[in-house]
Amino acid sequence: MDFFVQQLVNGLTLGSVYALIALGYSMVYGILKLLNFAHGEVYMMGAFAGYGVLTVLGGAGSAVVPVPLLILLMVLGGAAVSTVLGVAIERFAYRPLRRSPRIAPLISAIGVSFFLQSAALLLFSARFRTYDTPSMISPTTGVVIGPLRISLVRIIVIVSAFALMAGLTLLVSRTKLGKAMRATAFDLEGAAMMGIDVDKVIVATFAIGSALAGVAGVMVGLVFGRIFHFMGFIAGLKAFTAAVVGGIGSIPGAMLGGILIGMAEAFSAGYISSTFQNVIVFGILIVVLLVKPSGLLGRPELVKV
Amino acid sequence: MRLLAVLAAFALIVAACGGDGDATTTTAAAGDTTTTTAPPDDATTTTGEAPMACSGSIGVMAPITGPAASIGVEQLNWAKLAVDQFNEANGTEIALVEGDTQLDPAQASTVAPQFVSDAGILAVVGPAGSQEIEAVGAIFADAGMPFISMSATRTDLTDGQYPTFFRVVPTDADQGPTIANFVAGMGGTKVFIVDDQTSYSTGLTEAIIPVLEAADIEVTTDSVSQDATDFSSLVSNVSDDTDWVILPWQIAANAQLFGQQLAEQGKTAAIFGSDGLFSPNDFTIEGSYVSAFAPDITGIPESADLVEAFQSQYGDFGTFGPPTFAAATIALEAIYSICQAGGEPDRAGVLEAVAATDQATSVLGQPIVFNESGDVEGAVFFIFQIQDGEYVLFTG
Repeated sequence: MDFFVQQLVNGLTLGSVYALIALGYSMVYGILKLLNFAHGEVYMMGAFAGYGVLTVLGGAGSAVVPVPLLILLMVLGGAAVSTVLGVAIERFAYRPLRRSPRIAPLISAIGVSFFLQSAALLLFSARFRTYDTPSMISPTTGVVIGPLRISLVRIIVIVSAFALMAGLTLLVSRTKLGKAMRATAFDLEGAAMMGIDVDKVIVATFAIGSALAGVAGVMVGLVFGRIFHFMGFIAGLKAFTAAVVGGIGSIPGAMLGGILIGMAEAFSAGYISSTFQNVIVFGILIVVLLVKPSGLLGRPELVKV
Repeated sequence: MRLLAVLAAFALIVAACGGDGDATTTTAAAGDTTTTTAPPDDATTTTGEAPMACSGSIGVMAPITGPAASIGVEQLNWAKLAVDQFNEANGTEIALVEGDTQLDPAQASTVAPQFVSDAGILAVVGPAGSQEIEAVGAIFADAGMPFISMSATRTDLTDGQYPTFFRVVPTDADQGPTIANFVAGMGGTKVFIVDDQTSYSTGLTEAIIPVLEAADIEVTTDSVSQDATDFSSLVSNVSDDTDWVILPWQIAANAQLFGQQLAEQGKTAAIFGSDGLFSPNDFTIEGSYVSAFAPDITGIPESADLVEAFQSQYGDFGTFGPPTFAAATIALEAIYSICQAGGEPDRAGVLEAVAATDQATSVLGQPIVFNESGDVEGAVFFIFQIQDGEYVLFTG
């Protein structure tokens, strides 16, 4: 039982991070039908931005501000840099191609992805950087129930991820911007004809998705310690899988998919073998797509005649 | 349907992206791509000709980018330093050609033919990983290209299957028992071993297990991808009474995370990392042990100038650099020895000269003489313990 709960916590941590990244994929796909492959790199840059804030403020063990404020500033820094980057990518790599065949922005996305990866390699070198979280929050603080341990940093990550997801759900369902986003996702041209500034909505979508990725980057730095220029690729691939499993284009789907993929990884590593972790994750993807081609919460695509 | 098409396109693109090996050629290609196999005595310089500087190139195969780039960049920089110093000291004009393998056999097997077809390349330093040696061994054997690895330790690489292969580091047949005997000697009773699914790691695991079992130690094994970014589920599988975790891994930052997550879940097992984890910057779990195929040369007085030269130009380093310097030096000396004998260096001659290497001393603190299979005679492993964040040679 303890083992089960421990794996549940492991899976939930991983899953909430995947969910945050998956949201960016899904939101952009929902509106533009574009797979933003540079999204993983936006997440990576967010992680480096958080590291930058940490370094500027004196490093993990000797920060000039109290630890809670430090972490908050790191998260904000990561979100800010990712937002700017995401919006810039939209402006320079996707918008000029919006009227081109769909494969063109896809290639552009992959190009941006490699560009950012190489830029990070040049800027930050190939070395792994560590947030050195143990110097900020002792790994042994947290909830201890018998042999079960949930460290404080994991609690922070899981709680804030869920808070952000709840916030996003409210934003999409209750605000004017949310309504405009839903309208644009439903029919871009129709929305434009109804007087919605579609460009603004698209920029907002990229900004929100990228900010979430930036937060995810900082959280990964906090909970898993190390960041490096290549980290966006694998995380991006997993989050993309999560978005597809949940039903790409669907916001609750991305959240569900992320949690599901995280859980699948944790439980397959715990109960079967870490060897088959990725096989199982992508196996789930295939099964879901076979049974429900539009994903768990996705709507079947309407063909416009 | 549309989504599936996009997915398929994505799969194709990812597959295509996986295959871009880039070998930066820094010398002019010699035009023809055939391998020169003329024996050295066919190509003696005639008297009266203007003296030509000894020239040629050595190829360096290392993970210059990708997840193991921190190792590869160090290796490349040490190779550059070796070439620069050698050229300056001997007036030679030997060039270095970079080949990025990303520690990936697929990349390595793209770079190898590029090196083979560059007739200027007379010897190769690398590749770094055992899995890469397996990928390029046959290609280099066919081309008669000598290649000297600075970090591949899998035992069966030198069983004669790759006749042009040499290495300056000891093998896992030495390392496995070294680690196992150490753990047994420290009173280990329950050991958890995790391989990282590379040829290096599984080979080493196979060498460790029988020795532990012979010492009546309970062994549990697991396996995790080198690309994994979270080990908490794996760590949950380490039982509380496990007293040692052995990680025969190649990526130090992975082991660092593993160690942190071990502490996070309140497990007290000590970590023993293999040579691949020797990295004072990235793996700093207090009290852990690490084996190393080379001593810490910063502690050797005779190496002080070299350490100084490297640090002033490239910064700090771990244990992956100095063996690369040793491997590059062997290749350089082999080429130079042919020039000095009045010959024009070619691959066959360099191969012979590399095999005949006889260095009374080396940067690794031991003489380098190759045995018939390409291993250094008498190479041994060293054990370090991490104390207050420093790697300290453990002497018992």
